[in-house]
Amino acid sequence: MSLAATPLDDKAAALVARLRAGEALALSKAITALENDLPEAGALIGALRPHLGHGLSIGVTGPPGVGKSTLVNGLIGQFRAQARSVGVVAVDPSSPLSGGAILGDRVRMTDHGSDPEVFIRSLASRGHLGGLAPTAARVVDALDAAGKEVVLIETVGAGQSEIEIAAVADIKIVVLAPGLGDEMQALKAGILEIADILVVNKADRPLAEQTASQLKAMLSLRAPARRDVPVLLTAATDGQGLEALVAEIDRLGVPPDRAARRRARTRQLLAGVAADLLRERLLADDDPAVEALCDQVERGTLALDQAARRTLEGS
Amino acid sequence: MTAFSERTRPPRVLVTKVGLDGHDRGSRIVAAYLRDAGMEVVYTPPWQGIERVVKLALEEDVDVIGVSSLSTDHLLIPQLMTALGQAGLGHIRVVVGGIVPDGDEAELLAAGVAQVFHPGVTREEIVAGVEAFALEARAAFDLETAS
Amino acid sequence: MSEQAVQLPLPGFEQERLNWRRSYERQCPDGKTLRNRSGIEVKPLYTPDDWDGARYMADLGFPGQPPFTRGIHATMYRGRTWTQRQLVGLGTPEDYNARLKTILSHGGSAGSLIPCNSVYRGFDCDEVDPLLLGTCGAVVNTVEDMETCFRDIDLGSFSAALNDPSPFTLLAFVLAVAERRGVPWAKISGTSNQSDYISHFVANHMFFRLALPGARRVLLDHIAFCAERLPLWNPLSIVGQHMQQAGATPAEAMGLTLSSAIQYAEDCRARGMAPDAFLPRFTFFFDLSISFFEEIAKLRAGRRIWQRLTRERFGATDPRSWRFKFHAQTSGLDLTRQQPLNNIARTAVQAMAGIFGGLQSLHADAYDEVLSVPTEGAARIAVSTQNILREEAHLTDVIDPLGGSYYVERLTNQMEDEILAVIERIEQAGGMYRAVESGLVQRMLGESALAFQDRVERGEETIVGVNAYQIPESEEMPRAPLERPDPAIMEQQVARLARFKAERDQDRAKRALDDLARAATSAEENIFSVLVAAAKAGATHGEICACLRRELGDGQPLIVP
Repeated sequence: MSLAATPLDDKAAALVARLRAGEALALSKAITALENDLPEAGALIGALRPHLGHGLSIGVTGPPGVGKSTLVNGLIGQFRAQARSVGVVAVDPSSPLSGGAILGDRVRMTDHGSDPEVFIRSLASRGHLGGLAPTAARVVDALDAAGKEVVLIETVGAGQSEIEIAAVADIKIVVLAPGLGDEMQALKAGILEIADILVVNKADRPLAEQTASQLKAMLSLRAPARRDVPVLLTAATDGQGLEALVAEIDRLGVPPDRAARRRARTRQLLAGVAADLLRERLLADDDPAVEALCDQVERGTLALDQAARRTLEGS
Repeated sequence: MTAFSERTRPPRVLVTKVGLDGHDRGSRIVAAYLRDAGMEVVYTPPWQGIERVVKLALEEDVDVIGVSSLSTDHLLIPQLMTALGQAGLGHIRVVVGGIVPDGDEAELLAAGVAQVFHPGVTREEIVAGVEAFALEARAAFDLETAS
Repeated sequence: MSEQAVQLPLPGFEQERLNWRRSYERQCPDGKTLRNRSGIEVKPLYTPDDWDGARYMADLGFPGQPPFTRGIHATMYRGRTWTQRQLVGLGTPEDYNARLKTILSHGGSAGSLIPCNSVYRGFDCDEVDPLLLGTCGAVVNTVEDMETCFRDIDLGSFSAALNDPSPFTLLAFVLAVAERRGVPWAKISGTSNQSDYISHFVANHMFFRLALPGARRVLLDHIAFCAERLPLWNPLSIVGQHMQQAGATPAEAMGLTLSSAIQYAEDCRARGMAPDAFLPRFTFFFDLSISFFEEIAKLRAGRRIWQRLTRERFGATDPRSWRFKFHAQTSGLDLTRQQPLNNIARTAVQAMAGIFGGLQSLHADAYDEVLSVPTEGAARIAVSTQNILREEAHLTDVIDPLGGSYYVERLTNQMEDEILAVIERIEQAGGMYRAVESGLVQRMLGESALAFQDRVERGEETIVGVNAYQIPESEEMPRAPLERPDPAIMEQQVARLARFKAERDQDRAKRALDDLARAATSAEENIFSVLVAAAKAGATHGEICACLRRELGDGQPLIVP
């Protein structure tokens, strides 16, 4: 940033000034630029940086159908009752066939459809480099810089990349529904690991208590440092348990090692994008050097890991 | 997957219904058509208020708003056009689909609606129309003057 | 022909069939496989191979007797023709009253009341944009409005079909008016149309929706109240028409409707009601598409399944419980904006399907419904269409005239299988309530709607004037502009509501609404009974709906395409 300001820098600075002043249209356009890596995106990231770190970000993830959107809707209500401004990033999957998407999560957040202190933006998962997580992180930053005191990120925890999106947040909430049974075993490895808070939603249904105890039993098998994850019961449709959830969120608050975590996260994101770029380069079938390496591997004259190391040379 | 700089931005479209009627077969089919044509569609259930639609369009940075109307809810659309203009969203193209009598169609076009799609319109016509309007909307947007 | 059942083999049958097939294949070498809207393959020819008289007693029997395939009454249209129930609802209560009197003066004894969309959505007229008031139905918000709607009408000898979704305020107003006039509730007859909250929830969202559990409770209270207090009232009309309009195939529409009926009946039974106390008052409402034979088969198969369900599953012993009574409406989805007069022909064919399908009551669409809210002239043609079919074409002279047709009987059996498969799928999902809660039914409807649209796009379904036989836009007939209600009249209506609210006994109205809120949260009281008291006490439609929405939750649609 030691170079002279370019027109793109000016444009970014103007946009950031306007979104900082509370102009929703500027925020919306900034998000579009960041999401799509429009020419001003780089300059925008720089211009946002001095204004980051004031809000608390909360990731909400879990299997489909557990009521995440309804829970987010309820949480928005709780934060608004405390007069805290709220940003929401709602992630929906893109169709692998067409690349298009139906963005319908915010449909269930309509309680706040006309509150100017709530800004909701839907993102399609698309085919982003490194998954959607790097992009989601930028969008969260834009909402943070715009002064949103709380930023919620909602995503379906159906696969690793969705879990990474939620992991962008300061606090990760994993939502489950009663009676998941076998699914719960499968969850053990992936999704539960990132949870700072576990929520059993739809607590008005049978088996809610039982599911909560099952979760606690699973947690007790963990390393001591990760054992004390709270397990809460909510019924988001009628607001039950939401106050306790918000109290728990505030008790955890901004993690003390936020800077270190942010750096670790940046490193993760960097690794993700770099891996994607490399994969793309290696899978393109027009590079004679890669062809030559493949020949050697197939003839058995070069080990696979050695060949892989060579592809990194000169990258 | 292509590199960042080469990626194109799919059109973003809000498919909605304002007013009191709840028949959503048409809006659901159109939303699916647009998704299948590679667009990103923000979909709402029926009965949205004007203010809500404007806020949605603003936050989601959509290029086109498609409003489905089967009874008389299209009568509210001139109010929507005014509200969009006031919110600095005059660049967004609004299309209407459903049952709109001829006389009312002229009124809607005069209020700034880009096109009215009538029953019998084909998938291709809808997709091509919305794509063209999305490009128009992007070209028409100017950050300096919008506020 | 003698009255002997057909015996196979018939002499020469095999040889002649072979000869026919050779000729057919020679002349029609690349005959495509045709399928109807429900996905059933339709063959070029049907013979006793497909159905024969040996199955007569099992499949058909006699009219008015199980399995009711040939009709639910012994006399069918020879005894009494179907009810011509053209929907009426417009403007102010005064407008409605005038139109109703005209209809009654022409000899009718039944009427329907279609409220304005604002009423459907649970609002009073002062809660919505005045531009939308009274454009598609009557604005009825108070007991006083209902008094006006039925001014000079004897409620004791008149049958009213109220388009009155949960929580049934229109019926509450009617009962309040009856009480004022000294008409015993036992003489009030008619139907609560649109009471099928499941169909509203998944398919036609034209009302304000309580959350599902609340809607379920209110309906059961309503059915229980009517069973006790209103012997001539049908509290439930289960609406396959919504399902089919939202995209279901004819077989799916019938299957889902019967699944809803099973759900409602199970809910009533769980509440301790005897099947024969509520089943006779279940009525149905179906869509009539232009897929002529398919619709006939759908309706005949539905009748057969219903009698089996009521007897075998619910143990009903009263024959009235077994009878599948239904109203039908010609489908607006088949109508086209292009060359709209063609719609008169379409409506006639749709109506014929309903008549051959054995309906009890019919609404024929106006040809201009796809252009705007129907005009009066077009509505008159729709009535004439019914008169022509009945009296000029003599369609009613013979009971179930298509009975015994190889094709119709075979198709009826095949539709029955398809319908049963849908019912089974819903059973597997835990019943209709659960299947709606999980979004399964909504997905089925969405997929079928898209699949049909794709057939149209591919030209597999011909739509005259749209994807075939088009004419230039310049040759289209001029379309009449929509008549909009005079804004001044709607302003008066809003003013009248304000006056009503100002002049009522405020304490009494408030107490009644408090009672309603309390009843909504207590499992002890019948909500509908308390609601009727609130209507009598001067609570308005919007106030009642807002109260229940607050207490029972505002339902959110579970719909993502």
